[in-house]
Amino acid sequence: MDTVTWLVVANAAVWLGLGAYLIFLALEQRALAARLKQWEAFHPEHQ
Amino acid sequence: MPKSFLPLVLPLLGGTALAGCQWLIYVYAPTEASMGLIQKIFYLHLPLAWWALVSFFLVFLGSVVYLFRRSPGADRLCAAAAETGVLLSGLALVTGMLWARKSWGVWWTWDPRLTTTLVMWFIYAGYLILRGLNMPPQRKSLVCAVLGVVAFLDVPLVFVSARIWRSIHPAVFGAQGGGLEPEMRLAAMACVIALGFFWAALIGLRKGQLDLRARMDTLWAGNGPSAAGRNRP
Amino acid sequence: MLRMTLAVFRKDMTLTLLRGNGLAQALLLGLLLVFVFSLSQGIGENLSPRNAAAVFWLSSAFCQVLIFNQLYALEEVNNSRLGLLLVPQPLQAVWLGKALAGFVLLLLAQCVFAPATIVFLGQSLSGHPGPAASILLLTDAGMCALGSLLGALAQSQTARESLLGVVLFPLLTPLLLAGTGVCAQALGGASGEADAWIGVAAAFDAIFLAAGLLLFSFLYTGDE
Repeated sequence: MDTVTWLVVANAAVWLGLGAYLIFLALEQRALAARLKQWEAFHPEHQ
Repeated sequence: MPKSFLPLVLPLLGGTALAGCQWLIYVYAPTEASMGLIQKIFYLHLPLAWWALVSFFLVFLGSVVYLFRRSPGADRLCAAAAETGVLLSGLALVTGMLWARKSWGVWWTWDPRLTTTLVMWFIYAGYLILRGLNMPPQRKSLVCAVLGVVAFLDVPLVFVSARIWRSIHPAVFGAQGGGLEPEMRLAAMACVIALGFFWAALIGLRKGQLDLRARMDTLWAGNGPSAAGRNRP
Repeated sequence: MLRMTLAVFRKDMTLTLLRGNGLAQALLLGLLLVFVFSLSQGIGENLSPRNAAAVFWLSSAFCQVLIFNQLYALEEVNNSRLGLLLVPQPLQAVWLGKALAGFVLLLLAQCVFAPATIVFLGQSLSGHPGPAASILLLTDAGMCALGSLLGALAQSQTARESLLGVVLFPLLTPLLLAGTGVCAQALGGASGEADAWIGVAAAFDAIFLAAGLLLFSFLYTGDE
């Protein structure tokens, strides 16, 4: 592989890693939203 | 007011700065004479490693604050910083390996800095496992705070021992990064600062999310300010 | 505090050595490790002194995890931890007493591992035993200071063995490197650096003895 490919691979690895963490954060956020929805369903007077 | 303003500005600033850094890396900074183009990985590798170390230091500070004040916020800051630190040090290791493979033909060298990063990665990965365990929340915060202090105390020792360890073996390559040209140093510093914004944004985001989760937990436990509403007939 | 330390020490030694299976489990695990590594030698080959020293310290590290799990598990029965917590003495005495007990138990285990390493891995004591003896004591002291602190961490946890190992091993890296480096010389490996290693081990001991004294009372509580 030539040098440019290595550079691309390294950059891709970094941004894939950061992206994966952002996906993880997004999933956590979604779980939070689901819990909030559930809570609201239990407490209709707060809507 | 500026507190709610910060989460918006930081990612924007980080993103723009990182984009600008691409120009600094590939156009402004000269190509390294002996290693060639592959040395450009360095501009990502160095900031990742530095901010990982800063994250671990943040875990240490947060742990000390938690031990003295018992504030749940400090504990959540530790959690956010440890996650980011493990992520960044992991990426620093991956880029380091790719760089080593291309320039020296080996995936791994027992360079003290690389070894220290690896051992830190192991330590804080263990820390995150401890965080994931099912324990009473206060007990977990306490245990994690103690481990956060102990883990950071270990870092200098790991570095010194890795240095002595290596000096027996023939070095695969000499210490790099010592004689950087001014343009390269400028580009590297710019990358460090740019990634710093991004890092702060990540930690801020995760901390906010963990705060939210803690509030949700109290809501569900019925201790929140709206607990009275639940008992209404 | 010293009397309380010695009392905890005596209690733990008695309970460990005279009841149940004592050190047997930890000893067996360490010996098995040495034996398994001896299989990696081809016919007529011997492991290099450095490899043999690394195997020795690996066995010691696993053995130490089991020892401290056992020492802290003693108080998990019938909530007897509360009894220790109620004694009007500084809590650090518990930490120090258990560290002392662990130190002695680990030394006992190493009295078995060292000959096993020499026999199974085909080594001979051809180097200087002096630095090796001092690094043995220093490394064991550091391992026990940290092990006694983190042993309290896993209190009332189900997955305690694996948890303690995962957390403890990377933290012990400097000590294990120091032990391996110096003990390899005692087995006839290349000499040099012994002073630097002893310095690292002594620094480790100092830092984690202090950390144990300061942090133990946070960890050792009546929480379930």
